[in-house]
Amino acid sequence: MLEKLERPDEVRRWNGRIPVSHRYTPGVAGDVFFTALRDRGVLLGSRCDSCDYTYVPARLFCERCFAELSADAEVGPGGRLVSFTISYTGLEGEPLEQAVAIGLVRPDGADAAIVHRIVDTGDEPLEIGQRMEVVVKPEEERTGSIHDIDGFRPAG
Amino acid sequence: MARRVAVVGAGMTKFVRRAQETGKELAWEASRAALDSCELTLDQVDAVCLTSAPDAFDGVHMKGEYLSDGAGAFGKPFIRTYVGGGSGVFTAIQAWYTVASGMADVVLAVAEEKMSSTQPHPQGAFLTIFDNVLERPLGPNLLWIFALEMNRYMSAYDLDKRDIAQIAVKNKRNAAGHPAALLGQSDITVEDVLGSETLAWPVQRLDVSPISDGAVAVVVASEEAARRITDRPVWIDGVGWNLDTTYWTNRDLVFPEYVANAARMAYDMAGVTEPRKQIHVAEPYDPFDYKELHHLEGLLLFEPGKAPEAARDGVLNRDGDLPSCPSGGLLGVGNPIAAAGLMKIAELYWQLRGDAGERQVPGTPERGVAQAWGDLMQVGTVVVMGRDGVSRSSGPSPTASPDTAAATSLPVVQTPPYATAGHPLSETEFRGAVGAVDHAVDARYEWDAGVAVGRFLDGLGEGRILGRECRGCGRVLVPPRMFCERCFRATDSWVDVRHSGSVETFSICHVAWDMTPLDEPELPAVISIDGSDGGFLHLLGEVAPDDVRVGMAVEAVWKPEVERTGSILDIAYFRPRAHEEPGD
Repeated sequence: MLEKLERPDEVRRWNGRIPVSHRYTPGVAGDVFFTALRDRGVLLGSRCDSCDYTYVPARLFCERCFAELSADAEVGPGGRLVSFTISYTGLEGEPLEQAVAIGLVRPDGADAAIVHRIVDTGDEPLEIGQRMEVVVKPEEERTGSIHDIDGFRPAG
Repeated sequence: MARRVAVVGAGMTKFVRRAQETGKELAWEASRAALDSCELTLDQVDAVCLTSAPDAFDGVHMKGEYLSDGAGAFGKPFIRTYVGGGSGVFTAIQAWYTVASGMADVVLAVAEEKMSSTQPHPQGAFLTIFDNVLERPLGPNLLWIFALEMNRYMSAYDLDKRDIAQIAVKNKRNAAGHPAALLGQSDITVEDVLGSETLAWPVQRLDVSPISDGAVAVVVASEEAARRITDRPVWIDGVGWNLDTTYWTNRDLVFPEYVANAARMAYDMAGVTEPRKQIHVAEPYDPFDYKELHHLEGLLLFEPGKAPEAARDGVLNRDGDLPSCPSGGLLGVGNPIAAAGLMKIAELYWQLRGDAGERQVPGTPERGVAQAWGDLMQVGTVVVMGRDGVSRSSGPSPTASPDTAAATSLPVVQTPPYATAGHPLSETEFRGAVGAVDHAVDARYEWDAGVAVGRFLDGLGEGRILGRECRGCGRVLVPPRMFCERCFRATDSWVDVRHSGSVETFSICHVAWDMTPLDEPELPAVISIDGSDGGFLHLLGEVAPDDVRVGMAVEAVWKPEVERTGSILDIAYFRPRAHEEPGD
């Protein structure tokens, strides 16, 4: 029953796609997080006292104990570099003209970390554990998006 | 032996057209309401069972994992199940066997659906349920399947559209008192349904449940834990599930045998021998109004073709002899797909405890059945639930002591807990939401026709319709396959079948898959091919829509040979057969 294909190009095939796109709204906690980022240029987290854990970005509930949380714990702007990578290739594996540094940064006051670009790296090599700070766009350029943050940069 | 299992808590969000909450947030609201209803905390939950539509639906890959925190699965054994529209009831079955097996004592079962993210219409994500090679080139619309099945059911029993529409009326009226309902309407009439826009005849706008966002959760527990948690557990006495063939054009569209098989499995387990007498309340799956009738018959509660008469006689009303969808169902409460199925389990829990408030069916119902349907329109999932008294006892619990049960007994929750969440977003709020992101999964697919269908398509290019004979069951399979799914053996030989057939069922479709109107209606039909035991989906032509009849003799109209490419479109359409084919 199984036949070896001698001429794969002759196999009958159809091309298609799933013709939908998606619009994701950020939800209850996300609304507060992005509004604060846009209007005040700050990172808002959510603190769960009983679990002694501060989430960032803000969340509506604690996934550990299911308590309802408020999006009112301001964290950062400083933080520490938890890990990083330097990417030399794009999504299709093509070489990038300019390598991109991506960091996982735990803002001060938070237990969770945020992934974003690392900018203004300068000449010093990155080091896990080093001090970082968030780089927020000027107010007039902010729209309420994760791109209101340019990234994190090494802090002195 | 399986342990005895009960539902001890339930909660749900409002079902809305578009929720402000993310999927995780909806899941959490429902889960927390369910836990609050039985005064449990998350650390008392041993495992979590979750269901939601396929990842392609909202473009979130690994969606089960994405939703897991909202479902309370942090640091716990977690499983996501998915059987299409049947998922909501199936996740209760999953929770049942997680507890019945002894793997866990308390399980949270959660169902979430957020359909509003999908643009321009969630139906686009369903198009791949059609055969990519044999059906998608015809430009199908998900409504086709429902319209074709509904027409087949109506014509088999000579039903009037009013017989069908009365179900939509009943359910939307039932939902009028439901605090979580999207489409409750106490004054709706059959005329309103009959006057609503025709989408794909016989399906009209008000025959269909709405696109919705929402979540439901139930808490399922072992007998010992259930006795500790509540003095009124509702037992899961029977579970069943069953699949029909994946070739929907080869299926019996009149009677859902797979639902009957699932029901028999569940009834046997529950000790139900006379369902019509022993079931006091039913929550059959009602994404379309005819489906409730179809499923009531599949659940063996009425003889085939007799459910519409019962509806006419008021038997299915909330105060009738067998209340059906007292919740308001998908047609009234809403249809966030997976969540809607679990809503039926939650409704039985509330009804059998006497906690359903304004929706409570009179007469202290003791046993109920919930059912959902889905996958490639071929799965039946069934759960039988009963109160103490009727529930089949598995004997004394081995470890529960009356003293501890009394000491930890909790107050009775009188009102069903509905989360306040499920905040509707207007179109303007949705379009203007701060932080919103638009995204398309930029994936393209190339589907191989495979061995059997590849040859079938070659045959079409030569102006032949080929079937495959199975000497095990004697059937000639069209569309052909290299194995027989009934005998599970290789099929034996290629057979040329006729170019003629009959209209098994048809629809007159006025809308495209994204619900935009068509200039000219399309006439999709399932054609039973003469000389075979099967048939396939195609379009009708050279006929006025009003002249098409179920059972009408038709013949293939081929494209000129030079234009054929080895495609289902090499047959341009089927037309009414004017005269005998040579060789007849």
